[in-house]
Amino acid sequence: MSYVIAAYGITGLTLGLYAFHLLRSRARERKTLVGTQESNNG
Amino acid sequence: MNGLGPIASRLRTVSGALLGILLVTYVYTVANAPIDSVQGVIQKILYVHPPLAYGAYLGFVVTAVCGGLYLWRADEKWDRLAIAGAEVGVIFCTLMIVTGPIWAKGTWGKWWSWDPRLTVTLLLWFVYLAYLLLRSFSEGGARTARFAAVYGLVGIALIPLNYFVIEIFGGRGMHPENLERGSLGEGMGLPFLMGNLTLFVAFWWFVLARWELENLRALGLAKRADPMARAREEIA
Repeated sequence: MSYVIAAYGITGLTLGLYAFHLLRSRARERKTLVGTQESNNG
Repeated sequence: MNGLGPIASRLRTVSGALLGILLVTYVYTVANAPIDSVQGVIQKILYVHPPLAYGAYLGFVVTAVCGGLYLWRADEKWDRLAIAGAEVGVIFCTLMIVTGPIWAKGTWGKWWSWDPRLTVTLLLWFVYLAYLLLRSFSEGGARTARFAAVYGLVGIALIPLNYFVIEIFGGRGMHPENLERGSLGEGMGLPFLMGNLTLFVAFWWFVLARWELENLRALGLAKRADPMARAREEIA
């Protein structure tokens, strides 16, 4: 049973962390983009 | 300012919502799946390992197809989608390479064997890991994108080899044969289907989210390089 938990646990944790990383990076990029636009607009 | 086309953006939202429902059903069906009489409970790894393999194949196919489209149309959006496919494909492939040995340790008694399927899978992983390293170490630009597109197209030849290597070696390896109709026991079809469906939808969610991120980065770079870009974009 521990092997099954390990396989599903590693998969779930990795994909969950990857999803979190993508969402956080997207939010950061959007924030930077808004900052650049405001700076371009003077 | 979304960074994604409206259809792709809506698709990502829909796939995200669908994923929540599928995940619950997937966990429920796997938990309630019958215990295999030969392998025991460890057989349940089957409901995650092959779906990860199909996701990895799909990711590399996306990279090759989008690489081909980039060579044909010279549109950077295809190159950015190719990167997204490769990254998600490598993550799925990594998880396939991790879950396989966990099953092997419990069934064969050892983590790894230089079996033809395992060896070609490792090679496939290295090829697309090298693709990502190439993209991250280079400055970008049309020349890198063209080289990466050709590389992605050549690398895809490993997928049919990976799938059929068991038949090519006449079943002499240790890896179980490819699944066929009727190879699953009673009550095992539904969790296997749910595993495939869930990871298929998850795959597209990841690809669309990664594509959106790449589009936003490109947009940000363009705007930092050219303050007039926003004005031109608004006019267009």
